[in-house]
Parts: sequence; structure tokens; C-alpha cells
Amino acid sequence: MTDTALTSSTLDAAQRDALIARLTALADDELILSHRDAEWVGHAPILEEDIALANIAQDELGHAGVWLSLRGDLDGSDPDTLAFRRDAGEYRSARLVELPRGDWAFTLVRQFLFDAYEAVLIDETCASTYAPLAEAARKIVREERFHLQHTALWVERLGLGTDESNRRSQAALDELWPHTPQLFAPVPGEESLVAAGIVPDLAGVQARWTPLVTAHLARSGLRVPATPSAPPAPRTEHTEHLAELLREMQEVARQEDPGTVW
Amino acid sequence: MNETSAPEAPSGETQHRETQWPRWEVLKQDAPARPHQAVGSVHATDPEHALVTARTLFARRPSAVSMWVVPDHAILARTQEQDERGEPLPDTAEGEAQPYVVARKVNHKRSMTFVDVVGTVTATSPARALDLARATFPEPPALAWWVFPDAAVTRTDDTPETVESWFAPAKDKTYRQQSSYGVVGTHASERRGRRAAAPAGEQSGGEHD
Amino acid sequence: MIQDQILTETPEQIAAFEARIARGEKIEPGDWMPAEYRRQLIRMIGQHAHSEYVGMLPEGAWITRAPSLKRKMILIAKVQDEAGHGQYLYHAAETLGATREDMMDGLLTRRAKYSSIFNYPSLTWADVGMIGWLVDGAAIKNQTMLAGCSYGPYSRAMVRICSEETFHHKQGKEMILAYARGTATQRRMAQDALDRWWWPSLMMLGPHDADSTNSGVLTRWGVKLKSNDEVRQEFMDEHVPELLDAGLTIPDPDMIKDEAGHWRHGPIDWTEFWAVVKGERGLGAERLGARRAAHDDGAWVREAMEAHAARRVTAQAAD
Repeated sequence: MTDTALTSSTLDAAQRDALIARLTALADDELILSHRDAEWVGHAPILEEDIALANIAQDELGHAGVWLSLRGDLDGSDPDTLAFRRDAGEYRSARLVELPRGDWAFTLVRQFLFDAYEAVLIDETCASTYAPLAEAARKIVREERFHLQHTALWVERLGLGTDESNRRSQAALDELWPHTPQLFAPVPGEESLVAAGIVPDLAGVQARWTPLVTAHLARSGLRVPATPSAPPAPRTEHTEHLAELLREMQEVARQEDPGTVW
Repeated sequence: MNETSAPEAPSGETQHRETQWPRWEVLKQDAPARPHQAVGSVHATDPEHALVTARTLFARRPSAVSMWVVPDHAILARTQEQDERGEPLPDTAEGEAQPYVVARKVNHKRSMTFVDVVGTVTATSPARALDLARATFPEPPALAWWVFPDAAVTRTDDTPETVESWFAPAKDKTYRQQSSYGVVGTHASERRGRRAAAPAGEQSGGEHD
Repeated sequence: MIQDQILTETPEQIAAFEARIARGEKIEPGDWMPAEYRRQLIRMIGQHAHSEYVGMLPEGAWITRAPSLKRKMILIAKVQDEAGHGQYLYHAAETLGATREDMMDGLLTRRAKYSSIFNYPSLTWADVGMIGWLVDGAAIKNQTMLAGCSYGPYSRAMVRICSEETFHHKQGKEMILAYARGTATQRRMAQDALDRWWWPSLMMLGPHDADSTNSGVLTRWGVKLKSNDEVRQEFMDEHVPELLDAGLTIPDPDMIKDEAGHWRHGPIDWTEFWAVVKGERGLGAERLGARRAAHDDGAWVREAMEAHAARRVTAQAAD
């Protein structure tokens, strides 16, 4: 490992490509999840929660912007073009975030699982040898701590609240859990980034994430399902929900030529 | 306790089975040298939920370094007008001596906040706490008082980590600040038919909570 | 009952109350106030709160379709603010004895009113910008005036709201100015949005003074500091020149500029306004339906939170 922080000009070609892939995955997860969260605005169970979920959606969108602009530094791409002109096949989001928002329990359980993943991942990314990534991670990790506190609080209350809320939370967890291994699957070429200390090793992230979430879920009266043994699908394969989501998301932007300023 | 009496005319049939979450008053401290100030209230079911909700609601625009929530029923509120009118204080039971937080409003100036925390007194009941507060903080004359047990307060941690994750991120979200848009269109001063005061649209540039 | 209270109100009490207001004092929760003052404020603040709450919907619907990351971010922040504003206002009404329960019930059963401008559909993306420019522009005029009102909690909510609302107006204006000078599609979209939102925005500022029934008492008691027509004139004088400068056409063939330089609008067709208020036109039913669904669908969530809290309190008491 080198003491000198890496910059975009000191990465080799393989690292550059892999980092572009990793940043895209990070951005797409945030973009799609933000969309799902934003669907709740105006429909939350109580006014205060409309505000809370809008807060989360905003923060995630901001993170997506950060990852996309880091990618833009590497390949000259434009964040808006990436967000609004790529088809589903070109997106690299995880299946977990694409699933429809479901009921409140589904949204909060998913958010909790994802927030915990992000908290651990971004925390470890603060030590990245690639300076721009480390800097971005340090800023983002601050918000993630609050998000995790917020969603963990909700999971506990829904899990322990009433029979109905427990039933719904369990159903949500049963459906979501099998999709979580994909979060920890490396993108193509990621090993070279890990070797250079540019990104953390996802196996290590998973090893921290698993006890963290299982302990909290158990405390919340929820049963953690079995983890599927089959290898997770690659991020190039999507649920049938993504195309429909993107159709809506890109509807207005695509009325005009790429590069139009909206 | 907290004055919310005098009910409205009876409401019609409630068709929706409702759960009314308890109300918590929120006090926010903008900077380390400033007092905690009453900014509004939130509905939540428990102290942690109240605190998290208060942060979402009141810390969106900088600045804040600390936030408190207090259940509304724990507050004894009193105004100067109630004193002048001689309205009797609500009955409060005597108990163990404990610290009470004291907050006051001292002028009628236009503001976003209500009472400011000035300190604590030790007393055996809210009524006694109010008496002691009057004696301890006589100047300037208060227009409104709040006293509430320190034990009833739930606070954000004072640690840098909490400030970093709870409050600092809002500072970067400049797109929420009208000043980040500069002057859009023509400046108020250029418009004909203007009176001395520019409209709030241009004037409230410096205003922040 | 409110009638009983009015019977016990003496001229001396009312005079003392009015003297306080004349001295510029704020009336705070717990202070003596005429029952009619309390009633009017609960009605007015409740309506205002409901307007913010329902007002989240026409713009909220476009968040998922915002055409750039920046615009999307701004719109989420704006709609979040509106929710927050509703919250500050419900708080102010609660200090007068109203409960969130009752107010929600009033809204969902149509007993309570809200500004009917939010029953108009938001048909295109440019509507988001036009709502920011005109609707928030009108709201700012109103809110600035109310920030000086005599009731402390309402005044404070207004001051906070004013400080946040300016960004709403600016972002809308910035968007429309950009589109008015943008592509042909964007220009058409901006003009079309203006054509549909102009008259509703003028009407949002309330009936003509001669037709305004509540204003008398509200003015006397320092709640309304300017008349509807006054505020409407300020709105015209501020926004007409800038819309025209942007190359847009105001959909009012009778609009003129008078000798004093004030922009005078043509006759307002209030029939459409009343039709929308009554729900004969516009999306009133849909808006309330959405809020009712959210409310009903969320019942199990609220119950779960209550149950959890109750269990904790019991557990703590048992310790």
C-alpha cells in the first residue's frame, strides 16, 4: 500500500474501469432507492413521517449526485445524462432497491437493511487511498449515522408494536432478506480496487453488517430468514420493476434532446 | 399545566379511528453560546422518536448544535396577562425537590421562537418552581414563563459525533437557502411603484433559524 | 359552549384585549381572548395548515419525474418544507385548543376548508415552476402580512414560514425564466402553465374586499393587517412586469397599466373559483381521497407506535 493518496491521474486503466463500475453501482442504488422513498411523499401515515422520508430521499439523491460526479471526473460523463438517458440494461442498481415500496413496514425494513449496509461501507471507505472517494465518504458517513438511528428506531417499534405490525415487518423481512447478498457482491474488476485500498473488501463489510442487523432484528421481535446459498445475480440483471420505474423517472427529460438544460 | 384549554365547538362525528400521538415541545440551541429556544412542537410516541422527529423538522436549516424535547403536559406555562388577571395557577402536587428548567419571553418583537431558557431552579413543585424563577430571574420583566422538570427533558448528545451527524449536514444543503439563488429576475429596488420597504421576497435574505 | 362564553364577555374585557393589540402586544396561549377571536383563528390557521398539507400533492406528484437531479433535489426540499409548514401551523392551532385529530377529521370529512388553488391539476412539469412563482409568490404576500399578526404562535409560525418560502418562490421563478428562454417545447410549456395558473393565483388572494365576510373582525383584532384587494394589487405590481419581461403573455386581454403605474386586472370570473371550492371542478375529491387513503392506510402504523410506547411506559413503571 502506498502512502501517497491516489488521484484520477495515478490510477491505472483497470482500476479506473473498475472504479467507474463501483461508483455507478453506488449511485444507482441511491438513485433508485430515492425514487422509491419519494413515492411516499404526501402519503405517509402521519405528517411528521412525510417530512422524515422526504429527508431520506433528499439525502440519497445527494449521495447519488456525489458518486456520479466522482465518476464524471474519471470518464467525463454527465450525471444528468447518466441518470436520465440510460435504459434499464445499463443501470447497475441492486434488486433490493428496485422492489416496489410496498407498505410502511416494507419501506422501513428495506431502508434499515440498506442504511446499515451504507453505514458500514461508507465508514470503511473513509480510509480509501483514492483521495476524492475518501473525502466524499467522510462527508456522507455523517448523515448515514443519523439515518441508521432513525430507521433502526422504526424497525424496533414496528417489530414490537402490535401483532399486525410484527406480521407485516416479518413479511417484509422474508421478502427482502434473500436480496441482501447482492449488496456484497463485487463488481467486475473490484479485486484490483480492494488490493490498492481504493474500496473496502465487501466480504469484510458483510461480516460487520450481518451481526449488526441480525442483533437489531432479533431485538425487534423479528426472525431472520435463511440466507440463500446460490450466488447473487450480477448487477446487470434487474427486476421487471426497473424499466417501469425508469420510464416514469425519465419521462420529462426525454421529451427533449440530451444535453437540454432543465 | 400547559395552557391549551377552552375547547372548540364540538366536532362532528369522528369517522376515523384515530390515535392522537402525544405532543412534545421542542427547544433548539443554535450555537454553543446561545440559549435553547422554543421553536414548536412535534407529535411522537416516545422520547427518542420525538427527538428524531424534531431534528427532521427543525434542523433542516442551519444552525443547530443541540435539541431538547419535553412532553407538553410536563410544562407549567404562565403569561403576564394571566398574572395581571389573577387567574389561579393549576393545582400542582408537592414532591421531592428537583431541578426545574426555566424559560422566559421578554419582549413582543417579531420572532420565530417563543421562550428562551435562562437557567434552572430547585423546587418541590412546578408552582414553587415558578415562584422561585420569578425571584431568581426578575429582569427584564417576563411576558411569559415556562417551568418544567429537568428530568422530563430528552436531549441530543453533546458529543461532536452527534453534532456531526444530526446537525452539521444541513449546512451543506445550500439549495434550501434562498440566498443561494441570488437575485432572480429584477431586483426589488429597480421596480417602479416601490415603497420604502422591499417585499419580503428580497428582504428576508438574511433570515435563518 | 361558545355562545355561553360570549355572553359572559364584558365590554371591559374586550376593550382591554383590543388595547393590548393596539399596543403591539402578542396574545399568547393562556391569555384572555374573545371566543370569536379563538374561533376565527382556529378556522383560519386550520385552513392554512390544511392548504400546506394538501398543497404537497400537486407538486409532490412530479418529484419522481423531475427532469434533472438538481430540480429533483430542489423539489423534494420544497415539498418537504410544505409539510413542515403544515406542521408549524397545526402546532399554532393546537395552542388554541384544537387537536390534530379533530383538524384531520375536519379536513377528511370536508367540514374544514383549504385553499382551493390546490385542487387545480398540475398537468406538466412547468406547472411546478409556475406554482413556485405565482402560488408561492401570492402566499408570501399573505404570509408576510400575517407575520405581524397579534396571536403569538401564528405570528411565529408565519415568520418561520416566510424565511423558508422565499426559496420556493425563487426556484420557481428561476425555472420559468429559464424555460421562457429555452427550447420551443419549454417555452410552450411555460406559457401553457401561466395560462392555467394565472387566474387561480389572483383568486387565491381571496374574494374582493366587498365580498369578504370574515375580514371585519380579523382586521379589528390584528390578524389581517391588509385587505385582500390591497395584497392582490401588490401581487400584480410585482409579478406582471417580470412575467412580461420574460416574454410571456398574461392571459388577461383586459389588463391595463393605470396612470399611477399600477397593473389592473380585468374582471375576475368567480364562478370557476366557486365551482372548484365546491368540488364541482378540479381535483378536490382526488386530493382528499389521497389524504384519506394515507390516513387510513397508516392507522396500523400509528397503533403500533402507540402500543410500543405504552408497553415501555408499563415496563418502566414496573421497575
